[in-house]
Amino acid sequence: MRFLALLRKELRESLPWLLLAGLLLLGVGLLTVHSEARFARMRYQHWSAHQGLGPGEVVNTYDLVRSPHLAWVAMWLAFIAPGLGLVLGICHFWVPLFARTWSFLLHRSTSRMSILGAKLAAAILGLLVSLGLVWTGLYWYACRPGLLPIPEPVQILVVGWIYIVIGLVAYLGTALSALSTARWYTTRIFGLVFAALAAFLILVQWHLGWVFALAVLAIAILFVQTVAAFLSREF
Amino acid sequence: MALWMQISSGSETPIYQQLIEQISGAIARGELRTGDKLPAVRALAAELVINPNTVARAYTLLEQSGLVTTKTGSGTFVSDPALRHADAAQINALAERMDTLISRAVNLGLDRDALVALFEKRMEKFADRLDKGEAENG
Amino acid sequence: MAEIVLETKGLTKYYGAKPALDHLDLRVPRGCICGFLGRNGAGKTTAIKLMLGLLTPTAGSATLLGCDSTALTPAIRQRIGYVTEGHRLLRWMTIGRLEEFQRAFFPRQWDSRLFAEMIEYFELSKRQKIKHLSNGQRAQVSLALALAPNPELLVMDDPTLGLDAAIRRQFLEGMIELITRQGRTVLFSSHILADVERVADRIVVIDRGVLRADCPLEQFRTSVRKVVLHFDNSAPADVELAGLLHFRRSERQLELTLVGVGDAEVADWARQAGAERFDFVEMNLEDQFIEFTAPPHRWRLFQWEKA
Repeated sequence: MRFLALLRKELRESLPWLLLAGLLLLGVGLLTVHSEARFARMRYQHWSAHQGLGPGEVVNTYDLVRSPHLAWVAMWLAFIAPGLGLVLGICHFWVPLFARTWSFLLHRSTSRMSILGAKLAAAILGLLVSLGLVWTGLYWYACRPGLLPIPEPVQILVVGWIYIVIGLVAYLGTALSALSTARWYTTRIFGLVFAALAAFLILVQWHLGWVFALAVLAIAILFVQTVAAFLSREF
Repeated sequence: MALWMQISSGSETPIYQQLIEQISGAIARGELRTGDKLPAVRALAAELVINPNTVARAYTLLEQSGLVTTKTGSGTFVSDPALRHADAAQINALAERMDTLISRAVNLGLDRDALVALFEKRMEKFADRLDKGEAENG
Repeated sequence: MAEIVLETKGLTKYYGAKPALDHLDLRVPRGCICGFLGRNGAGKTTAIKLMLGLLTPTAGSATLLGCDSTALTPAIRQRIGYVTEGHRLLRWMTIGRLEEFQRAFFPRQWDSRLFAEMIEYFELSKRQKIKHLSNGQRAQVSLALALAPNPELLVMDDPTLGLDAAIRRQFLEGMIELITRQGRTVLFSSHILADVERVADRIVVIDRGVLRADCPLEQFRTSVRKVVLHFDNSAPADVELAGLLHFRRSERQLELTLVGVGDAEVADWARQAGAERFDFVEMNLEDQFIEFTAPPHRWRLFQWEKA
């Protein structure tokens, strides 16, 4: 009951940003998939009409139908997801500082942990629904038979999800920096720097196992730090 | 019951003192008569927006001076004048307040006779009002 | 003696090397309205935030309803109302939604009818958004939110700051309304001495982080006073008297501000000093407060025996 009230409040405060990010991803995704589908068809028709142009010419049909498709959308997601994480972090942990609503919010007949828990749950839920669901939906939509000449590889779906996980890393990093009471040029910047570093390390991995391991490690470290900072912080 | 009280905060006179002055004034002028019930502590506190303990304190002091009596469970009532008594300290306090009046009169240039005459005139007016009140209620 | 619902013991808070609060020992008994006084920056907000566990004390402790302030359980918090400085509420919510949010944390004790009545009395509507309200209206919503759960202990941090006289009066009415229910206690800080005098029966005075008084309001009213001594010849140049706050000297007069000095002591001292006569000057609470908190800070007023 109390947790639900908190969760509803956090979700409602995040809603404009979740909508913005989700709709942006959806718009870019649909536009890209449809226009690329048309281009691929046109190239294929062009090739069929001028088959056997000259001697010695090698035609790779895969090159003709291949296009960036979702890879292009994933590039957008690579910015949208950490951006959303950053904005949610600001929304949940910085705005109350400026609006001076921490005192009001913290005097609740509930534990401090559940106040923090509601914020984290709202962020994770937001990322899952507004980006995760939309992205997976886009993949499913693009791979329906008949739309694109060849189906998208499943790897691109995984890459998108990695970006979404990095969104969570960005959120926790922002939270940690917002909760710090130190100066910017000392340890306050730590949260954001750590998140950026972790994101970089995750992105340069080839092996999915390493990606997974690093992501779990980064999120665990940031989570523990954020919880510790929130429970001991003075407001 | 003719009791119209006005509390001013920020005054030199403490609030419980203001209450005592107004209630005892009303009793002296006959606006409150023997057996009249004073408002309940909480009701008066809420009406005047003052602390209930302040009202209770004023009532206690009024009771100590014999102006009112408290009957457990039913309230505070104006007591019979026959039962009232003024102790030396209260008379002393009254005398001190008279000093203030006298020094004001001296400053205004009134001599002894003029002051006594003025005092008697006011006493008569007070008695008139008291009589009129009796007639109305009688 | 009444049960103590709020107590601090040696409560201290340092910011860097400077103490914002220095060994605060105060006690608030159940059933009273306690006015918490101090000049700007005296440490009132720091003390209140320490009491509610929003700050961690450098030393000492605060106990609310028998529970240490650094470990207030949800069950204890549910019995405490807190009105924050400036009435900072969640801006995007409507009054109705804010009520719903707040009510979730006070199940079974939320007085929906009282809340609705107050909102109507303030000529507000539950559909109005907090961000569109004026400061005074936001304060009114904050008052309704504080009273609707019928808190056992209500702590308010300068609730009437910057409000007009009519809304200030509503806060006073609210406090009186709450206190007439059995066993409720209010602690509120304020700069409006006239308001404090009206509703408070105890006062706590802190100055530069140090507790100067913790006693019934009446005791403060009768203890801090000014006396003018008149001399035939020149007045003495120096005054040595326990309880002396300040003195001002003119040719043939001496004005003393005293704390906790009885009539007899004043008379004795006046006779020894060779005064021809002396008069007490009546002061209102504001004058007393100003005299009491003006430096040098020497004398204090407590009702409690030091343990």
